[in-house]
Amino acid sequence: MKVLEKSEMKVITGNHAVSYGAKLARVEVIAAYPITPQTTIVELLSEMVAEGDLKARFITVESEHSAMAGCISASIAGARAFTATSSQGLALMHEMLHWAAGVRAPIVMANVNRALAAPWSIWTDQNDSLSQRDTGWMQLYAESNQEALDFVILGYKVAEQVLLPMMIVLDAFILSHTSEPVEIYPQEVVDAFLPPYQNPYALNFDNPQVIGGLADPQVYFEFRYKLQKAHERAIQVFKEEGQRFGELFGRTYDTLEPFMLEDAEEVLVTAGSTTSTARYAVQKLREKGHKVGLLKLRMFRPFPFEDIRQALRGRKKVGIIDRNLSYGHHGIFYQEIKSALYGQSGAPLLFGYVTGLGGRDIRAEDIEAIYEDLRSRTEPQEIIWKGVRL
Amino acid sequence: MSWYWKEVNREEWMNPGHLACQGCGATVAMRLALKALGPKTMITVPACCWTIIDGAWPNHALKIPMFHTAFETAAIAASGIRAALDVKGEKDVTVLAWAGDGGTFDIGIQALSGAAERNENIIYVVYDNEAYMNTGIQRSGATPYGAWTTTTPVKHPEERPKKNIVEIMSAHRIPYVATATIAFPDDLVRKFLKAKEIQGTRFIHILSPCPPGWKIASDQSIKVARMAVETKVFPLFEIEDGERWTINYWPEGRPVLDYLKMQGRFRHLTEEQVDYIQRFVDHEWEKLLKRHQETHGSLPEEATVSASG
Amino acid sequence: MKKNGNPYEWTADEFPEVTVSFRDTRGVKTGSWRNLRPVIHDQEKYGPCSKACPTNTLIPQYFYQFLERGDLDAAGQVLLKHNPIPSITGRVCPHPCERACNRKRFDEAISIREIERFVGDYILDKKGQPPAKETGKTIAVVGSGPAGMTAAYYLRQKGHRVVVFEKDPKGGGVLRYGIPEYRLPSEIVDRELQALERMGVEFRYQTKVGKDISIEELLQTYDAVFLGYGAHLERRMGIPGDEYLMSGVEFLRHVNEGNRTPPGKKVAVVGGGNVAMDVIRTLLRLGAEPVLLYRRTRKEMPALEEEIERAIEDGIEFQYLTQPIKAEKKNGKIVLTCVKMQLGEPDRSGRRRPVPIEGSEFEEEYDAVITAIGEYVDTSFLPKEVLDDHGWLVADKKTGKTAIPGLFAGGDVVSGPATVVEAIGWARRASEHIHAYVMGEELQPQPLPKTVSFLLIQMEYFQKKPRVAVPELPVEERIRAYDREEILGFNKELALQEVQRCFLCGTCNSCGNCYVFCPDAAVEWVDNKPQINYDYCKGCGICSAECPRGVIDMEQERLF
Repeated sequence: MKVLEKSEMKVITGNHAVSYGAKLARVEVIAAYPITPQTTIVELLSEMVAEGDLKARFITVESEHSAMAGCISASIAGARAFTATSSQGLALMHEMLHWAAGVRAPIVMANVNRALAAPWSIWTDQNDSLSQRDTGWMQLYAESNQEALDFVILGYKVAEQVLLPMMIVLDAFILSHTSEPVEIYPQEVVDAFLPPYQNPYALNFDNPQVIGGLADPQVYFEFRYKLQKAHERAIQVFKEEGQRFGELFGRTYDTLEPFMLEDAEEVLVTAGSTTSTARYAVQKLREKGHKVGLLKLRMFRPFPFEDIRQALRGRKKVGIIDRNLSYGHHGIFYQEIKSALYGQSGAPLLFGYVTGLGGRDIRAEDIEAIYEDLRSRTEPQEIIWKGVRL
Repeated sequence: MSWYWKEVNREEWMNPGHLACQGCGATVAMRLALKALGPKTMITVPACCWTIIDGAWPNHALKIPMFHTAFETAAIAASGIRAALDVKGEKDVTVLAWAGDGGTFDIGIQALSGAAERNENIIYVVYDNEAYMNTGIQRSGATPYGAWTTTTPVKHPEERPKKNIVEIMSAHRIPYVATATIAFPDDLVRKFLKAKEIQGTRFIHILSPCPPGWKIASDQSIKVARMAVETKVFPLFEIEDGERWTINYWPEGRPVLDYLKMQGRFRHLTEEQVDYIQRFVDHEWEKLLKRHQETHGSLPEEATVSASG
Repeated sequence: MKKNGNPYEWTADEFPEVTVSFRDTRGVKTGSWRNLRPVIHDQEKYGPCSKACPTNTLIPQYFYQFLERGDLDAAGQVLLKHNPIPSITGRVCPHPCERACNRKRFDEAISIREIERFVGDYILDKKGQPPAKETGKTIAVVGSGPAGMTAAYYLRQKGHRVVVFEKDPKGGGVLRYGIPEYRLPSEIVDRELQALERMGVEFRYQTKVGKDISIEELLQTYDAVFLGYGAHLERRMGIPGDEYLMSGVEFLRHVNEGNRTPPGKKVAVVGGGNVAMDVIRTLLRLGAEPVLLYRRTRKEMPALEEEIERAIEDGIEFQYLTQPIKAEKKNGKIVLTCVKMQLGEPDRSGRRRPVPIEGSEFEEEYDAVITAIGEYVDTSFLPKEVLDDHGWLVADKKTGKTAIPGLFAGGDVVSGPATVVEAIGWARRASEHIHAYVMGEELQPQPLPKTVSFLLIQMEYFQKKPRVAVPELPVEERIRAYDREEILGFNKELALQEVQRCFLCGTCNSCGNCYVFCPDAAVEWVDNKPQINYDYCKGCGICSAECPRGVIDMEQERLF
């Protein structure tokens, strides 16, 4: 992996990677509220603002609800807006997440995956972000601190083209508080990639209009149709911008990332930092001669149906690792992938593994055990629990 | 003689054709406020009557940019707009949050308190019609003692006095807090003109009669508002920097019954309840007088009439 | 993205990405919500003053011209529409307008008469333009008192040739020969007559109709005849020695003709009406020591309250419940026998009937005794067709028409003695009908304007303020000065101060309330006046409720 000439390599936490991403993206308004394990993102940003390294207004709001509300109005008033949160904070924002998508505010928000109370937990799982899947936000799941930084920049680039808000998701502690080398790009290269924010619908005096008012049943539906169309468009935009990002920065991004998938008969699907563990496990299994591969889900919303079908068509079995659960139903990635494959010729058998809730470790051995389990199964099953003491 | 209102100009920043009820006080309040603030104003409106009044897409009643926001977010939405304008260097724009009493006294008080404590550079207006009128007249923290609403039925009317939002706001030590009402256009406009020139959080509490909610005829909005002031139920005053209290209008000091009996929502009150309201109003007025006196050293001549009244 | 047409018909592709407005609400015609319609009746209604005024002078309307526009000439023109001789009524009118004034229920009535006097004097020498066009019609007016002057003014204004027949050597009738100088200087009457002369009204003085020329002749010579002479015959007491008693009307005529000598030092005046007050106050000013004898009490006195008060201020002695029953002449003196009275049951006039107290008779000696117990009209020379069984002239109060086509009448000649302003009102209405008659036109009945009641006045917009004091001669000066006006009247500054108190009932002064308080921005401000935009007015009624002066009415909206 080449590093840009003027780039700076820093060994930093995932949270600080996000902060640097926001700084490089030249965010203009930050409205944020502290919550573990997100807090260090905005701590660093507030320092950058105080030091004058980042020309932005930092609003130290009194709640995440207000953080999101402030970002929305700032975005609608023409400023590039950023916030970060986690878990309870994200849940509190829920109403405003709908609002952000509804008024098509291209905000980027980092969410550090943390399990929801009660009981209290500060450790990672994906239920907080996945609970927001129907709010109209795009979602990207980061595997590494570098991805976390890159997603902020790429996130704005995509969001501002399709006028949709973007949530970038990173695991609590495993990424947020763990340091690894991260390439901090030269500002001018980022500037070349990400132009200043322009929203053709922003509030202005030349045309004093109202945004977000009452829409009666004869028009609401059309606006919602357009929201969906924007999501559909966003997949292509993301692919193109991910490509361009690669050309400029050396890291190309697509909706999915395959690993040892070419001839794989059995495939494991992961998202977030679990992917790195799974890479190691899959490599070991390959060494043992198993025809196993790995598929990383990077973009969850919009959901890349077509890419998933392409990636999984003709495989024998697919095991989907969910660090989340839709209570009363199943792991959420499992449901979503299943829906993408329903009725497709050559669709594999799908098995859903729920594991690691509330920050319970998912170790390489666990992944291997999941693979063993997958191999042994012939009939689809409801939830397959892994790691819970039964 | 002729034109009575020397502070009120004839520039119009609100179009007709909006969707307010007949005799809507909140609409008069908006019209007058915008006459003072002028076109370089951006406004945000949370869930409240004005969500509807402004008209359905693709219509817009106001001639200024406006952003609809969620119920509890007026203050922060205004702060967000302010922040965006600040980073873009647009300092000459007034950012106005325009919320009802529910969105201010109740669901929006958190964001409002946050904004005020940070002294966000916004004007926050509560147009107070003393209940959730848009949803069909349910009690709010602004509903006065004794009032009927659909959730405080006649058999069990509101049993607590109205929340003192003005003292709450002045306790934030923001530079400007004022009360106003639509029956005193010069006073209202003057307060907006004054607020416009101040930096920081400015809070203006406008009593806005609601004909359907207060059970008054649609032509009585102004009269009821005036009587609220004359009976001292709603005194007109301002507080600067949380410390300097000034009474702006010295009421005749009529009995509260004159105000209560104009409105169907108080029709069920007993004599004892009316007495209680009178004592409460007198007590509040005495406190206000003291604060005015502490600020100004003495009371003006007009005050003596109303003080004894 | 489209911006025109109906979004309900657009496809999603034609929608903007964001719910952003692109129209204002003026496309929403909220006027359809209205069931009551505000109607601005600026200057179309009567104030209670105008309603009470027998000639319906548009008082708030002319006040408005003076007060709001500072235009005294325009004010005068509005005033003259209903009263051609305001400098006279401004002095002698009993001002029923002031009794009806809405402001009276707030603090004190407006000094309407004093303002009228000021404006009347201002235009006194300016008015009198001849008509622009002559009609070729000729009209005879009998009598040059208030009724005659009024008919002459309005008929001449219409372009008719008007000839006034007057038995006396000078014009003005009761104004000159009845009302004392300290109340109405004859100089004012002269100037009013000059204004009529400037218009081209012809006067035939010392021409007594019925003697020098008959009614029948007039009817043949002129296209129409208006009878407008006064009640100048004095009732007699009908008591023994009646012949020793002097007539009050005659006495006043003598004084007005220049005879300033009182008939004696100690003079009794019998009566309680306005003539009695004029007589007794004149006597005082001429140096006599008059005493008033009245058979009832002060409460029942028919004279104007303010005239009674002034007489009392003058220091004149009133003997109530005193009725002369006999007069004798002894040694050049009149010995008057009177009886004391007490009040019994109310009579037809509603006043308590005086009943003699038996045995209360007493005698008193006077240099002279003057009676002023009522006047009546000479109808002896009128055609019988126009008289009733009692010999009184009959004429319609609204039109002045009598039984003979072309013969009209109005004022005291029909009603018996009444006020100047009643004569003016009657003559003004009659002149409209005379004009229609001679022009062969049909007069369309006009609906009576609505009156602004006290309830329509919004007190919160007014501050209490007492009447402006009227400059007057001090009592000790006035009682020695028959030839000096006792009321000096307002100057412009005082008149303006007083007119500022007027509510201007029914007249829009552009206060702006309707505009400022309209929740629908549906009151537009055009040429400094409100205009209602019915496309958007929802009919809430605030403009009407907050109009301080009852200009705007809410009227039922008609669907068809």
